[in-house]
Amino acid sequence: MHLLRTNILLRTILICLLLLVLNGCWDRVEINDLAIVMGIGLDKTEEGDIELSVQIANPKAMAGSGSSGGQSSGNPIVVETVTGRTIFDARSKLQESLSRQLFEGHNRVIFISKALAEEGIQKHIDFFARFPSPRLRANIFIVDSKVIDILKVPSDFELNSSEVARELAKLKIGMNITTKDLLEQLANESSSIALPSITVEDKPVGTKGLRVNGSAIIKENKMVGEIDNALSRGVLWLRDEIKLSSVTLEPENTEGYISFKLLRSSTDLSPTIKNGKWKMVVNITTEDDVVENETNLDVLDPKITDKLEKQLEQKVTERIQKTLDYVQKEIGADVFGFGEAFYRKFPKQWNKEKDMWAEKFPELEVEINCKAYIRRPGRSNIPQGTQKEEGVKK
Amino acid sequence: MAWNLLKPKKQKKKKKQTATKQSKQGQNPLSTNLSDNKNQLRSIYQDCSDFILRSFMISGKHQAILIYMDGLSNREEIDDNVLSPLMVKTQEDQSDLQIDKLIKNRVSISDVKEVKTIEDCIQLISSGNPVVLVNNSKTGFSVGLPQWEKRSIEAPEAEKAIRGPREGFVETLAVNISMLRRKIRSPKLKMQSMEIGRYTKTNVIITYIDGVVDKTLVEEVENRLKRIDIDGILDSGVIEEFIEDNPYSPFPQILETERPDTVTGNLLEGRIAILVDGSPSALIVPITFYSFLQANEDYYNRFLIATAIRWLRFILVIISLLLPSLYVALLTFHQEMIPTALLISMASSREQVPFPAIVEVLIMEITFEALREAGLRLPKQIGSAVSIVGALVIGESAVSAGIVSAPMVIVVAITGIASFTIPRYSAAIALRMLRFPLIFLGGMLGLLGIMLGIIMVIVHLSTLRSFGVPYLSPMAPMKYSEIKDTMMRAPWWKLNKRPHLTGEYNEYRQSSGQKPSPIRGKD
Repeated sequence: MHLLRTNILLRTILICLLLLVLNGCWDRVEINDLAIVMGIGLDKTEEGDIELSVQIANPKAMAGSGSSGGQSSGNPIVVETVTGRTIFDARSKLQESLSRQLFEGHNRVIFISKALAEEGIQKHIDFFARFPSPRLRANIFIVDSKVIDILKVPSDFELNSSEVARELAKLKIGMNITTKDLLEQLANESSSIALPSITVEDKPVGTKGLRVNGSAIIKENKMVGEIDNALSRGVLWLRDEIKLSSVTLEPENTEGYISFKLLRSSTDLSPTIKNGKWKMVVNITTEDDVVENETNLDVLDPKITDKLEKQLEQKVTERIQKTLDYVQKEIGADVFGFGEAFYRKFPKQWNKEKDMWAEKFPELEVEINCKAYIRRPGRSNIPQGTQKEEGVKK
Repeated sequence: MAWNLLKPKKQKKKKKQTATKQSKQGQNPLSTNLSDNKNQLRSIYQDCSDFILRSFMISGKHQAILIYMDGLSNREEIDDNVLSPLMVKTQEDQSDLQIDKLIKNRVSISDVKEVKTIEDCIQLISSGNPVVLVNNSKTGFSVGLPQWEKRSIEAPEAEKAIRGPREGFVETLAVNISMLRRKIRSPKLKMQSMEIGRYTKTNVIITYIDGVVDKTLVEEVENRLKRIDIDGILDSGVIEEFIEDNPYSPFPQILETERPDTVTGNLLEGRIAILVDGSPSALIVPITFYSFLQANEDYYNRFLIATAIRWLRFILVIISLLLPSLYVALLTFHQEMIPTALLISMASSREQVPFPAIVEVLIMEITFEALREAGLRLPKQIGSAVSIVGALVIGESAVSAGIVSAPMVIVVAITGIASFTIPRYSAAIALRMLRFPLIFLGGMLGLLGIMLGIIMVIVHLSTLRSFGVPYLSPMAPMKYSEIKDTMMRAPWWKLNKRPHLTGEYNEYRQSSGQKPSPIRGKD
């Protein structure tokens, strides 16, 4: 009995091994047969076709220490461009001229040209949502020049320019939008999104670099406008995504400026509907540190900080209002997620009037309640470079 | 061979070897005629140059012979305390006395036994007890004077420890027994003796603590040992193969140890130890998989540190089993799972390598195993040369020659180190060998294959038993109270209960509430 059992066991193991030989290895690829795509650029040709540019890592050139022979020769990146009717069509054409298999598993950045974005981006994004190889967490940028220029920019610190763009987005100076965010926000109630815009900067002359250059506003798949960095910051405030912010004030009755650095902030959107009148109340609580004090004010004095806090609140409200004035009133794109907030709180009314939202949104009354706190005076309490008695001014 | 196994066997023709066991033949009693006995023994020990037979007269009256094997008995003692007192002609006439009483009175040795048959005679002589036979007497006498050269007690080579006793078992059973007896002084420590081996007649001892052990378990061990019929026992490893539950498993189901303190600890937990004459390693049954991950030092070091080290070992066990196969699977199937920067640096180091990752791994793993095996068998003086060659071959040269990539060397090295941290060699080597099928699975089916392999290993482990105890207990089946000595090492004052092995057991090993605290001293 026991012998029979082991016999069956051995037979199963043998069959399993045979199975492995039969169908194993079919999708096996060695990494030195891969063309590791680091960034993808989408552009439009004059004929209306898609121009696909890819930035491919060149491991041979990156061979630093370790394996000998491959002396760091050549460019660490290879940029290829090809046109096609769809992205995949272009990709297939590109593959014809590449000795290695294209591999988008590590692609973390997608650059879309302004020209293409103005035409509508949804149909191109579909490829990145459907094809299994690219990551859904790839960052998306809008480029106002030719996309291929961005891909060719040599980088100082990172491996390549795509990595530079990604790190810039991670710093949260501007918007930080991934493919997944884009798909979500285009599909939700607001159907608008602000995408970070990036540009090639030639400053100082001769050294090319990348620079976050405000945001592109996408409304219902099409790019409808552009805002600068300051207005983008306003979008971040309203979306509760602000991480880095500096505010500089000129206090009353004294000379010089005081700079504040954002410590933490939270934004709460609370929509109200009163007598059929829609209103959005934005409650912002922000906590700041004093990082520079040119004046002779004593920032430890509660009376002074109270005044400063008031000024700070005013300043933040002003900034946000500026953004609202342009993005809400002029462009009419709900990139702040107001529609989503209304839908969550008043789903019934929303469903009744959602078709009217496009007309309703620019006229929506927005009330900004900002509360600022100055938390820490920094390393030194009194204004530096002055005598103590002088410094304290009530 | 494998194809033979594929064919279903319709009929199993068991050639029952009848009477394979040497049935105990009729015992030959000693003859009253001394010369008869003498001739019989002479013919039995024909061509044995170490056989010594000395004829003499007891008190100048009774004819007698003394028989022993050269080198097995203490010759000085024989001369001083057996031969000379017997040969002395005393004034007072004791000739009337019975000869056996006469001998017992004269011989100044504590251990004197009567011998009635030729077979007993032979056995006693072989184990170093000289035998005295007297004319006209049906009984002989054996004197307990065995003595032979033995290795002195040293620190066990295979199980080193920073803290804890430094003595290890030796090849002499009597010494090993005495070491145990010195540790457990209670008469509850029982030792059942047994003889295995047609020719070697090796002494095997089953030892346990009465009242702690489950009696049925002792019976089971006895039965399994009794079934062994072999010409010779060379080491306890031979016995291990005969009494295992699942002989086809790569995993050991019996713990072997050279340390008396480990044996003692296990005896106190209700386990049984089997000591074999001529082998420095004792066998311990029943055990579980986790026993192989417990070093004896865990119980002597501070419990927090011991727990941390145990966890380290768990991680390293997984690494030693899976790392190379994971590397192959990720590199050939799941490149998207490797961090981008790492992937690029790996790709750049692999640019020059001519082989696919799986071949690369196999080359390096086989080289590593070869170096390990070579280092093991070689004399110490050459061993260092092997390690130098190994470091150069595996490390520098293979990479600079472009045969393997640098990350691969790191993977193989980490795997090797990880497998050496498993305290028991037999378990470590099982895991090391299982690595190879997993590398194949990972190289052919990617992570899916590795998962299949892991499932197969775990299913196999859960089917194993060691003398009826599930191999993965106390994890499967779950016994929460025993986790305190597997997943962690609870402080001694918390280890109040013994683990439950089989059947009835003595649950408490100590009284509870012994946690030390300053308040305790006051009452």
